[in-house]
Amino acid sequence: MSLRPRPGCTAALLLLAFAFLSGCAGDEGKTIRVACAGPMTGEQAKQGRDMEEGAALAVEEWNAKGGALGKKIELLVYDDAQDPKQANAVANKMFTQGVVIVDGHYNSSCTIPASEVYNQRKMVCLTPASTNPQVTDRRYPTIFRVCGRDDQQGKAGAEWVVKHMPTAKVAVLDDKTTYGQGLAREFQKSYETLSGRKVVFAGVIVKEDQDHTSVLTTLKGYEPDLVYFGGLYPQGGLIVKQMRQLGIKASFMSGDGTYDPEFIRIAGAENAEGSYLTFIPDQEKIPTAERVVEAYKKRFGEVGPYSLYSYEAVNIALQGVAKAGTTDGLKVAQAIHAMAFDTVFGPMKFDDKGDVLVSPYVMWQVQGGKLVQLPPDS
Amino acid sequence: MRSAPLGTAYRVAAWTAVFYLMTLPLLGPLRALWVAVAAFAIQAVVLFGKISPAHRERFLSVVGGRTHLASWLDSRPAWFRTAVPVAILAIVALSGLGMSPYTLDVATNAGIYVLLALGLNIVVGMAGLLVLGYIAFSAVGAYTYAILNTQMHLSFWLALPIGGALAACFGLLLGLPTLRLRGDYLAIVTLGFGEITRITLNNWNSVTNGPNGILGISPPSFFGFPFTQPKHYFYLVLVMVALTAFFSRRLERSRLGRAWVAMREDETAAESMGVPTLKLKLLAFTLSAFCGGVAGVVFASKQLFISPESFNFLESVMVLCMVVLGGMGSVPGVILGAVLLSFLPEVLRGAAEYRLIVFGAAMVLLMQYRPQGIWPSSRRFEEFRQEK
Amino acid sequence: MIPGGALLQQIVNGLTVGAVYALIALGYTMVYGIIELINFAHGEIYMIGAYVGTISAGVFLAAGLPVWASLVLAIATAAALTSLYGLSAERLAYRPLRKAGRLAPLISALGLSIFFQQYVFLAQGAKDKVFPAAITSGGFVLGSVRVAYIQVAIILVAAALMVSLQAFVGKTRMGRAMRCTAQDPVMASLVGVPVNRVIALTFVIGSALAAVAGVLVVMYYGKVNYLAGYAAGLKAFTAAVLGGIGNIPGAMLGGLFLGVVESLAAGYIGGEYKDVVAFVILVLVLIVRPQGLLGVRVPDKI
Repeated sequence: MSLRPRPGCTAALLLLAFAFLSGCAGDEGKTIRVACAGPMTGEQAKQGRDMEEGAALAVEEWNAKGGALGKKIELLVYDDAQDPKQANAVANKMFTQGVVIVDGHYNSSCTIPASEVYNQRKMVCLTPASTNPQVTDRRYPTIFRVCGRDDQQGKAGAEWVVKHMPTAKVAVLDDKTTYGQGLAREFQKSYETLSGRKVVFAGVIVKEDQDHTSVLTTLKGYEPDLVYFGGLYPQGGLIVKQMRQLGIKASFMSGDGTYDPEFIRIAGAENAEGSYLTFIPDQEKIPTAERVVEAYKKRFGEVGPYSLYSYEAVNIALQGVAKAGTTDGLKVAQAIHAMAFDTVFGPMKFDDKGDVLVSPYVMWQVQGGKLVQLPPDS
Repeated sequence: MRSAPLGTAYRVAAWTAVFYLMTLPLLGPLRALWVAVAAFAIQAVVLFGKISPAHRERFLSVVGGRTHLASWLDSRPAWFRTAVPVAILAIVALSGLGMSPYTLDVATNAGIYVLLALGLNIVVGMAGLLVLGYIAFSAVGAYTYAILNTQMHLSFWLALPIGGALAACFGLLLGLPTLRLRGDYLAIVTLGFGEITRITLNNWNSVTNGPNGILGISPPSFFGFPFTQPKHYFYLVLVMVALTAFFSRRLERSRLGRAWVAMREDETAAESMGVPTLKLKLLAFTLSAFCGGVAGVVFASKQLFISPESFNFLESVMVLCMVVLGGMGSVPGVILGAVLLSFLPEVLRGAAEYRLIVFGAAMVLLMQYRPQGIWPSSRRFEEFRQEK
Repeated sequence: MIPGGALLQQIVNGLTVGAVYALIALGYTMVYGIIELINFAHGEIYMIGAYVGTISAGVFLAAGLPVWASLVLAIATAAALTSLYGLSAERLAYRPLRKAGRLAPLISALGLSIFFQQYVFLAQGAKDKVFPAAITSGGFVLGSVRVAYIQVAIILVAAALMVSLQAFVGKTRMGRAMRCTAQDPVMASLVGVPVNRVIALTFVIGSALAAVAGVLVVMYYGKVNYLAGYAAGLKAFTAAVLGGIGNIPGAMLGGLFLGVVESLAAGYIGGEYKDVVAFVILVLVLIVRPQGLLGVRVPDKI
């Protein structure tokens, strides 16, 4: 065989590149297409899979009942790789492929830009996990949020502090991300309004760092009784550990991003003991969720924190489709706005922005090295 | 000259063991074994296979050779060489009519990467200065448009030159003190600059809205006709790519371009021949930053939402990869590199996890076997051949 | 509002971080000194060292060894196995490019850094790896300053390694060969210095030191993830440049200096700007004193 280079090789490469340009047009079938979009690869692949499994369970149940509007439901999974640019691209892809309902995205930073496309294309989008207020504050008619909002969560934390530690000096830290900063600010705002007092210190940590002792040393000088942290569990764990190392005895409080058993492992059980976390109620203990949790476990195994939200996002959307009698985005959205839903989390209704009316957050605490839900009235 | 067979066998065994031990903790005993087997097999093929030095030479000359199509094109008459890019442009423009919104969207993103890669090519490819924080210039452009548009309703067309100019100013400011440094320090300083830019964007809440980014940027409009469809952006970007490619090509062959080559090849010699190297470096830096800024404005106008995380180090690396893969200093090569790398993830959806590791490995291998890239410029090719 | 003890505490915090920077910086400085290459992958080597240490500590603990023995063995294992990464990186990615100008090895190094990072991601996943033995946060209080034993250990180990490295380079035959190669590899090979072996050894030593730093860090903070190499590598390189690249005491000084500056910046300006301060200092040093704090000015080779 001759090893001489062939012009054909490069030409083929070029052709290949342009072949993609011609694209594949969406083949509209006899199904209702539901998209599940989230971080299916990369750091957050697990969260993406939780969403996918929840959505798949809902679709299977609907199909077992014969689908909606006499059509089968088809689930398509899209990966936004937690990248806003990619989220935008998959949103356009969904439109091309005839998707009418979107269960996604996971990160607020993806849901926000993608919802611009959904709004323009009149696709119904229900996010199961994006808690940033901006997602729904733009009042797009077809955008909904099944989970809670950062301001609801911040408020839940603040109310707890005001009620149970009325004399506490409070310090606030965040990790300077959309989520962390948003949550910390909402907490601070609610706390300052409810208690009439200022927080004693508000600081920022660098998410990529391992060492937060410098900021914590400064924080120690203000002698807080409670440190509220807006951010995720790896940093939360380190902060608690380093607080104790520096001799800071203050209680630690954080939100759903810190809710992970790894938080306790990283902090060390004795350091994390007594820490407070706002999170949704224990799904395994909600009586209304029992059947779904059972089915989910049998089908996929462990239930992730946002699995059931994803499940309900698909359920609610399909109920909207059934009620509206069409897959027209605006009509389905109108139906969803008007309806009341009976979900695994109890009755659910949306306000005019597309948010759930009742704040779902409750307080959890690390007790004996485990996360325990505190009774709501204690 | 061949080493003694025993020595060779010993060496093969040693390297096989090295690979096994090295990967053992991270991969576990079984997968590490596969690595070791692969390491052994590759060495065995190279050493004991029937690969004579002549074969090796042949292999290197094929892998590292001039792209056949490129040299064929170079030997065509001038009118033909002009006609080819025009024809390609026409084909792409026509195929835009039949594309789905998704394909258009991906193609537009690819086009923006082409703009960035062409801009980076000026400084890396033509002037030979390694810049590692290039995306920062794009961030300057993007934020300029985003801020001026959301606060003062500045139009897209005005923002293009303003964003570019502001990015160029940053380039100038950064370049003035640092361009005297030797190449690898410059790489680090630009990397640091990229980080500073990202951190500042993330923290300067009152101006940039911090990590939340800026929402509600308005799309460009053309004489009252608003760009709302992916198609509109596609053609906008296509026109800009065509213009940038044209100017890059002219630049390459201009007096300036030749002076850059002289400087890149031997700075001392160029200087002693009266080439004002510092000025030339600054010019390359500033022009390149300008292109980055313009690409940033386009990016912001297309995304309608920007946040600091779109401008991280990986993006800079990505653009650099496009330039290197395509062929440093070669305009068609850089375009090809950018298009290939932006479409690759779409094609390799299933293997998305492996995309970056393949990039990393490709960069290492490319530097050894084909440092001139897929479609090298004729000039650059000769240089690399001489260096070998 | 800020008590005076806080300043001392900040300096102790900074010295700990700085000692780690210094250990990683040694690898950069040695490699740069000898082949004038910024080994971008060095930060990843540090991260791999942390992983290897964490995993092997788990194995030793599970085998029932006492905690202290497991830790010592984990450090030794990490240093030994991670140095192989340095060895093969040099052989496969850098040696073929030794005559290829400046740009090619730099890009190769960048590629290798991405490769290592993704390799760890694929092998170990994106989740943080938590160190198996909880190092109790035992320590002592000096006035108002709290110091953990492990902080003292980090600083002492770093200092000891640096002193022995300095002695190795300055006093031994191999060290002399290293200095010789650094000055002029062609001349060195003419007088019989095994240049390839010397360069390989440089990579091995640098990687082993980075691995030790990695294990110490993962013991102290308790976790590591696959992205940890990038930031640490960048900082350590900054430290190497600050101290004067190619200069071993310089790397130590640069590391400690950078650590303390960052700590003070985070404590008194705000956590968000500490990296900006670090990079601004880097740019300033490069402009005002490109040879670094302890370096000697070397004219560019023509």
